[in-house]
Amino acid sequence: MPFLNHGSYRVRYELDGPADAPAYVLVNGLTQYSELWAAYRDALLARNFRVATFDLLGQGVSDKPALFINQDDHVAVLHRLIGELGEGPVFLSGISFGGLIALRYAIEHGQRLSGLVPMSCFAELSPQLMLIGNALRTGLILGGTGYLQDLLLPMNLSDKWLKPLLDKLDSVKRQGWLVNDVYALQNLMESFLDFQPLTARLSSISLPTMILNGEFDFLTPRALHETLRVEIPNSALVIIPEAYHAFTLEKGALTADLLARFAEDVLAGRWQGNKAVLVAPDEPGGEITPFPAGYDHLRAIPVRRAGP
Amino acid sequence: MSGFLGPLDADGRVPPQQQTRVAAFLISAHGALARQYALVLPLRIEAAWQTELNAQFYRESEIVSLLQRATAWVPDLALGYMAASWEAAWFAAPVEGIADTARAPAVGLATLAHAVHAGIRPAALLPTEASAADPFVMALRRIEFESSRLLQAQILFLKGPDLVPSRNAVSAALEKRHAEVRKLWREMLASIGIDARE
Repeated sequence: MPFLNHGSYRVRYELDGPADAPAYVLVNGLTQYSELWAAYRDALLARNFRVATFDLLGQGVSDKPALFINQDDHVAVLHRLIGELGEGPVFLSGISFGGLIALRYAIEHGQRLSGLVPMSCFAELSPQLMLIGNALRTGLILGGTGYLQDLLLPMNLSDKWLKPLLDKLDSVKRQGWLVNDVYALQNLMESFLDFQPLTARLSSISLPTMILNGEFDFLTPRALHETLRVEIPNSALVIIPEAYHAFTLEKGALTADLLARFAEDVLAGRWQGNKAVLVAPDEPGGEITPFPAGYDHLRAIPVRRAGP
Repeated sequence: MSGFLGPLDADGRVPPQQQTRVAAFLISAHGALARQYALVLPLRIEAAWQTELNAQFYRESEIVSLLQRATAWVPDLALGYMAASWEAAWFAAPVEGIADTARAPAVGLATLAHAVHAGIRPAALLPTEASAADPFVMALRRIEFESSRLLQAQILFLKGPDLVPSRNAVSAALEKRHAEVRKLWREMLASIGIDARE
C-alpha cells in the first residue's frame, strides 16, 4: 500500500494502469474511502485509463490530524499525487466534498489538467446547505459516525437502492464506520468553518468541464450546480436521471461510462461544453440528450423558461 | 493476527483473557483521567465551564465502574508489568511552547483526554458476531459512544479562542499524546493476538 508524505502526515493512495495512459484522479466525498472507487478503477482500466485514488487526510488509512485539517492541505496533497503521474493527460473528478477540492485544484493548478468533472458539487454554501451541514455535524457529535450514516443514507440514495438492503443496513454501514473516526470526520466538517466561496474564481477554469448532478439531489440541488455551469466557460451540466447526491455509489457503471466518454471526447478534440444542459442516459452507453428546449432545468415541474 | 477480538465462544462472548487485558487497559486510562479531573474539580463550582469538569469526572468514573462489573476477569500475570507502564504514561506531560504556565496543565490534561477518547475505539474491535446480550460487548460499545461525547469538551477547549496564539504548540502536544496512547493500545492488543489498524 503506497503512501505520500505531506509534512509529518502520510496519505495512502492507489495507482493502477499503464504509466503512459491518460489518468483519472478520483477524490472521495466526506465519509468515503478509497475502496469505494473499485468499480470505477476496473471500468476505467478497461477503457485504457490509468486510475489514481486516495484517502484524504483524516479518512480511511491516511493519517488523521488530531485537531485541525485545512482544505489547503487537501489541495496540496492532490497536487503531490498528480505530480506522481508524470506528464501525460490528467482528468480530475471528485464528489461532493471531493468535488470542492477538485474545483479548488482546477482554479489553482488548472494548467496541469486536461479535464474536470465535479459531481454533486458546490462552489458556495447556500443557507440550506450551511444549515444542513451544521445539523449533520451536530448529528455526528451527538450520535457518532453511525448516526451520521443513518442521516446520509436515506438523504443521498434512492428507495430503489435502499429497499433490498433495509435488513442489511448495519453491514452496509460497517466498513465506513470502522475506517472513519468521529474526531477526524468532525475535523473535516469543521474545515468549512472558514470556507470562502469559490464562485468568483470559477471563470478562471478554462478546462473542459463536465458537471454531474443527480436529478433528485436535494443536499446539493440543481441551483448549486447551475452556478458552476454559468461561471465555468467550457462546461456542460449533465443531469443523471432518478439519481440522488450519492449517485457514484448507486449508478457506478453509468457514471464510470460518462467519465470515460468525457475524457475520450476531450482527447479526440470532440468536447464542446457550450454551457449546455444535458440529460444522461439511464444505462451505460446510452445517448446523452439535450435538456428539452424551452423548459427550465432548474424546476422540477415542467415550466417553460422565461424569455431573456 | 486478526483485527478483531476472538475467536468468540458459542454464545458470541469475547475470550476472558482478552476481556481482562482490554478492560485493564481501559480502566487504567479512564481511571487516570478520573483521578486528574478529581484533582482539578473544585468543591464549589464558580464558573459555568466547571460543570463540564464535573461531568467528565463522573463519566470517567462510570466507565471504570462499568468495566469492573461487566468484565469476565481471569488471572493475568503480565498485567502487573503492563499496568505499571500504562500508569507511567498517563502522568501529566509538560506542554512546550505555551507561555501561560497556569494554562499549560489544563492543556496537558485535555490532550491526554482527547487522545484517549478519540484514539481508542474499543467497539471497533468487536466482530459482527459479538453478542449484543453480552455485558462486556455492551460495555465496549457504550464506552466508545460515550467517549465521542466526552471528546467534545476537549475539542472545544483545544480549538477555542484562548489557545489560538498557541495553536502550533497545542497541535504538536496533541499529536504526541495521540502517538503515545495509540502505541500503548496497539502493543496491548498485539499481546492478545490483535493487529490493530494504524
